[in-house]
Amino acid sequence: MSTDKTTAAKVASETQLIARAQQGDEAAFAALFNAHRRRVYSLCLRMTGDTTEAEDLTQEAFLQLFRKISTFRGESAFTTWLHRLVVNVVLMHLRKKGLLQVSLDEVDTSQEEPVKRDYGDDDRRLIGSIDRISLERAIAALPPGYRTVFVLHDVEGYEHNEIAQIMDCSTGNSKSQLHKARLKLREYLRHQQRRRAAEVLRSSELEKKR
Amino acid sequence: MPGEDCRQFAAGGPACRQFDRHLAAYLEGEDGPEVLGHAQQCPYCGTLLADMEQIRSASRRLPLDEPPARVWANIRAALRAEGILREQAPPWYRSFPRFAFLPGPVPLGAFACLVLLGLTLLVTSGGFGPNATLDLPSRGGTMIAAGVISPGLDEAMARTLCDMENAYLARENFLEPAVKTVYRRSLESLDASIQESLTYCQREPGNTLAQKYLVNAYKSKAEVLASALELGGR
Repeated sequence: MSTDKTTAAKVASETQLIARAQQGDEAAFAALFNAHRRRVYSLCLRMTGDTTEAEDLTQEAFLQLFRKISTFRGESAFTTWLHRLVVNVVLMHLRKKGLLQVSLDEVDTSQEEPVKRDYGDDDRRLIGSIDRISLERAIAALPPGYRTVFVLHDVEGYEHNEIAQIMDCSTGNSKSQLHKARLKLREYLRHQQRRRAAEVLRSSELEKKR
Repeated sequence: MPGEDCRQFAAGGPACRQFDRHLAAYLEGEDGPEVLGHAQQCPYCGTLLADMEQIRSASRRLPLDEPPARVWANIRAALRAEGILREQAPPWYRSFPRFAFLPGPVPLGAFACLVLLGLTLLVTSGGFGPNATLDLPSRGGTMIAAGVISPGLDEAMARTLCDMENAYLARENFLEPAVKTVYRRSLESLDASIQESLTYCQREPGNTLAQKYLVNAYKSKAEVLASALELGGR
């Protein structure tokens, strides 16, 4: 079966599920949840960096979705509608916690600050050392504003104009936040790489002494 | 000489500063011959560019995480309480008579297993140690490496999960194919997370994030199995 046919079949099946969910069919709600649960939860987890908050927000997002499902008329794709709703739920949560405003209002100084480089012997590249856990840990360590833009753009694939609209900022601000987020991630990952290399060196020296 | 320009930039060289100014736009897909040209000449800027591209591509490949089974249970309970769900049997309940021969206390047993596992995890969550490992595979694929979380107690946890998984495997053929597929996928995904976290825990015994992932993955698997057993036991 071609990709187009597969996509069409998926959309048709989802449309049927939505129609059944609009009638209150529990199995349809369960099927919609199962189809989207991992992407929604992962988005919440990456935007908050906390499993408990991600669980609560996933729950809240699906509840809002199911409460509003009778108003869905299919003008936009269901997935787009759902993900926009999830992003709004998470942003609302971050704003309530007062985490987002500060970093988004920061003055854009990215063009003035020189980028950090290691002008020593340590000019090894990160290639081969970025694994899932290191990267997720680095993303979780980003300030919330940087993290949100980074996750939306680099992980979820949103465009800067969409991010600007969602976050009520300029596209320039979104681009600048993204660049700073990537630089911070690099700094964090290189620090981890150096730490790991030092640990390996220390244990090999200990081995030699034995 | 390659790199000389960058060493000058350490004190504020113009070529590297120009590279910095154009780097963000280049990464956004704009043409940047000066960025590429300079990156080929200067090892430090070349490393920076390679790192940034690596971060970008690794982020796009991040796998999706599985939410705990309680998330759906909570959503369903809330929807029921609000009267949004229509009181009707979902498709897999229609085959209810097929489960009639199964022993009654299955949901209770699953719940007891979950409580036992929860207590084990609670007791062990404070103490992690770099211990030798011994794989204790189950028939269904649960992976527990003894000593990764805490010596001795891991084995009890392994047995609990194995029992739950074996009980599930004995009943999964009675589930509706679509439901069975959902559970199968969830369990496979959780097994992959467990395996990945175990590798990290063994490689870096002090890695608390990996330990947290591991404990969460075990808990999630127990919840998924308990939920499947409850469904299969009806």
